[in-house]
Amino acid sequence: MLLETIFFYLFAAGVVLSAVGVVFLRNPVHSALSLVLAFVFSACLWLMLQAEFLALILILVYVGAVMTLFLFVVMTINLDADIKKQTFVHYLPFGLLLMALLAALLLFVLKPAHFLSIGQPIIQDQDYSNVQVLGKVLYTHYVYPFELAAVLLLVAIVAAISLNPRQPSNKKTQNTEKQLYIKRADRVRLLSMPTEKKP
Amino acid sequence: MLGQYLPILIFILLGIVMGVLPILGGWILGPKKPNKEKLAAYECGFPAFEDARLPFDVRYYLVAILFIIFDLETAFFVPWAVVLNDIGWFGFWAMMIFLGLLVIGFIYEWKKGALEWE
Amino acid sequence: MYLSTFFANATPALPEIALLSMTCIVLLADLFFSRLCPRIPYYLTQLALLGVICLSLCALNKPQTSAFFGMFMADPLSSLLNVFICLTSLFSFLYARSFLEETKMPLGEYYTLGLFSVLGMMLMVSSQNFLPLFLGLELQSLPLYAMIALRRSSGIASEAAMKYFIMGSLASAMLLYGISLLYGVTHSLSISEAAIIFSQGTATHNTVFACALVFIIAGIAFKFGAAPFHAWAPDVYQGAPSIVTLFLGSAPKIAMLGFTFKFLVQAMPTLQTQWQLFFIILAVLSMALGNIVAVVQTNFKRMLAYSSISHMGYMLLGLISGTQAGYAAATFYIIAYAFMTLAGFAMIALLSKAGVEAESIKDFQGLNYKHPWLAFLVMVVMFSMAGVPPTIGFFAKLSVLQALVQVDLVWLAALALIFSVIGAYYYIAVIKTMYFDQPEKSTPFPTLPLDATIAISVNGLLLLILGLFPSGLIELCNKVFL
Repeated sequence: MLLETIFFYLFAAGVVLSAVGVVFLRNPVHSALSLVLAFVFSACLWLMLQAEFLALILILVYVGAVMTLFLFVVMTINLDADIKKQTFVHYLPFGLLLMALLAALLLFVLKPAHFLSIGQPIIQDQDYSNVQVLGKVLYTHYVYPFELAAVLLLVAIVAAISLNPRQPSNKKTQNTEKQLYIKRADRVRLLSMPTEKKP
Repeated sequence: MLGQYLPILIFILLGIVMGVLPILGGWILGPKKPNKEKLAAYECGFPAFEDARLPFDVRYYLVAILFIIFDLETAFFVPWAVVLNDIGWFGFWAMMIFLGLLVIGFIYEWKKGALEWE
Repeated sequence: MYLSTFFANATPALPEIALLSMTCIVLLADLFFSRLCPRIPYYLTQLALLGVICLSLCALNKPQTSAFFGMFMADPLSSLLNVFICLTSLFSFLYARSFLEETKMPLGEYYTLGLFSVLGMMLMVSSQNFLPLFLGLELQSLPLYAMIALRRSSGIASEAAMKYFIMGSLASAMLLYGISLLYGVTHSLSISEAAIIFSQGTATHNTVFACALVFIIAGIAFKFGAAPFHAWAPDVYQGAPSIVTLFLGSAPKIAMLGFTFKFLVQAMPTLQTQWQLFFIILAVLSMALGNIVAVVQTNFKRMLAYSSISHMGYMLLGLISGTQAGYAAATFYIIAYAFMTLAGFAMIALLSKAGVEAESIKDFQGLNYKHPWLAFLVMVVMFSMAGVPPTIGFFAKLSVLQALVQVDLVWLAALALIFSVIGAYYYIAVIKTMYFDQPEKSTPFPTLPLDATIAISVNGLLLLILGLFPSGLIELCNKVFL
C-alpha cells in the first residue's frame, strides 16, 4: 500500500510538471513532447486505478497517433517561438483569473463528500481483466453508442478528405511520356491569314 | 494485478538510465572548447541562409488523420476479440456493422485518391 | 442470434437506420456514378429525406417505444421534431443546389455531410441516455464545421468555420463536463434513471448538482446562440455561405430544442424552479441584445444573425413557463422560426450573382421594381419575423406570451413585447428599402433557378398560410406533450 502511494504521488507530480512544461517551454515542438510525457504519466495513473485497457489505449491512440498529428501541425505551420511568448504575456492576466476561478470551483465546490456514496474503489483480485469486463458491455449493452462511434469516424474521414487541398498548385512537373510522344501537329499549327493593311 | 506491471516499470526505469547515463557522462566528462567556426552549421563553405527546420508538407496531416481513424478502429477490435465467445452473434454483428461503416470510408478515401501522394 | 434478430430489436429506430443507410448510398453513388449524372447525390439525398419524413409521420401516432437496451426512445415528440428537422433540411438542400453548382463546390461531399448532420439531429431528439445524446450532438456539429469550410476559395468562410469549430468544441466540452458531474451525482447515464433519482430529492441539494446544471445550461445556450453565449453567431452566420447558414440556422435549432427537453424536462422534471432562473436571464439578455444590436447592422446576414439571437430569447420564454402549454409553444415557435430563417437566408442565396452574395441590405434596394414577387415574399418573411398578423410569427409569439401569462410572469411577457416593438423597426426598414427606395443602378438581375424559386414561393406562402390557419400545427404541438 505504501509503495502504491509513493508511485501515485510520483506519477501525479509527473503529470503536473509535464503539463507546466507544455505551457512554459519555448519551442512548440518541446511543448508537444511534454504533452506526450503528460499522457504517459496519466496512463500510469489509470493503470493504478486498474483501468488497464484505457491506459493502454491512451498510449496507443494519444501518444501514438494524436501527438504525431500535433507534431505535424506544429511543424507544418512552423510556429515562431516569439509569437508564442508574445501572446502568452498578452493573455496572462485573463488566463490567471480564469485559472483561479476554476481552481476555486474544483477545490470548494467539488468536494468528495458531495458525491453520493462513492467510497473506496473496489480492489479487484489477480485474474481480473479490465478488457474482458469492458468488452462484455461495449458490444452488447452499449451497442448503440458503439455504432455511433463508427458513424463519427466515417464523418471524420469524409470531412478530412473533402477539406484537403487536392493538388499542390505551386508544383510544376514534367510528363516525360507526353514529351516523348509529342507530334509536330501538336506543337505547331500553321494558319493562312490574309495580310492586313497598315492603319 | 498491479504487481504484474512492476517488472515493466523497472524495465522502463532501467531503459531511461541506460539512455541518459552515456549522454550525461559525455556531457560531464568531455572537454568543451567551443568557438564560432565550430558552432556554425556546415554548409559547403557559404554561410547558412535558411533554417534547418523546414515546414512540413500539409499532406502529411491528412495521412496522420486517416491513420488515427484506423488506429481507433483497431483499438475497438482488441476487447472484441478477447470476449467474442461471451458476446455471441450479437456482438459479432455489432462489430461487422462498425466495420462495414469504416469500409465505406475506406472505399471513399481510396476512390478519392487520398492514399496517393502525387 | 442472427442479423434479422439484431435488427428486430431496433425497429423503433427505423427512420434513423434508413437515413444512415441512405447516407452511405449517397456517398458511394457519388463516388461511382457522379460521372454519369453529377446530380445523383442531390436526387438521392432528397429521396432519403422524403422517405424519412414518411417513416416519421407513420410513427407520429404510435405510443413511445424504446430500443437498444433503453438507450433509444421513439415517442410522438421525437417523431414530430424529426419530421420538421427533415423538412427544413429538405428545403435547405434544395436552395443549395444551384449555388453549389455555380461555385463548383463538391456536391457529393456537401450532401453526404449534410445528411450525417441530419442523422445527428435525429439522434439528439430520440436518444434516452446522456452518452448517445452527446454523440448525436457531435455528429450534428462536426459535418457543419466542414460544410462551412467546404468553399475553400473563400477566406471569410474558413475563418467562420474556424470560429464555429473552436466555440462549438468549447460548448461541447462544457456540456460534457456537466454530464460527467451529473454522472457523479446520480451514478447513471440513463435519463429515466436520472429522473427517478432526482425525484427522490436527495441528490439535488448539493453543490455538485448546481455546478453540473450551470455547465449543461451554458453548453445548451452556446449551441442555441443565446446571449451571453452568442458571440460566435454573427461572425459564423455572416462568414458562412448563405446556403450553409440557412441549414445551420434552422434544423439544428429544432434538434437542440429536443435535446434541451431531454435534459431538463425529461431528466429533471421536478427541478424546474432550479433551472428557470438561468433561462430567464438568458431570455431577457437575448431579446435585448439581439433586437437592439440588429438595428444598427448594414449587412443583411449579420442582421438576421442578431435577429436569430432574439428569436432564441423568445423561444426560451416557452421553456421558462414550465407548463405543457409552454413547451408546446416553444416547439411551435422553433418550427416557425426555422421556416422564417430558411426563407430569409434563401433570399440572399437566390439573389447571389456568380458566387457573390447579396448580403448587404443595400442589395435589396428597390427590389419591388425588379422582381415584385420576390419583394412580396421578403415582405412576408420580415413581417413574420417581426410578429405581425396574419403570419405564423405572430401566432408563435402569441402562444409563447400566453404560456407566460398563465404562470403569472406578466412582467416578462411585457418586457418581451417591448423588445419585439424595437425589433419591428429593423424588419420594417428592410421592407421600406425594397418598396420605397429606388434601385441604385440598373444592374442585371440574376436568373433565378426554377426549382429554388418554386421552393421559396412555397416556403414564403407557408408562413402566410400557417399564419391564417395555425390551429392544426398548434394542436399537433400540444398533442405530443400530453
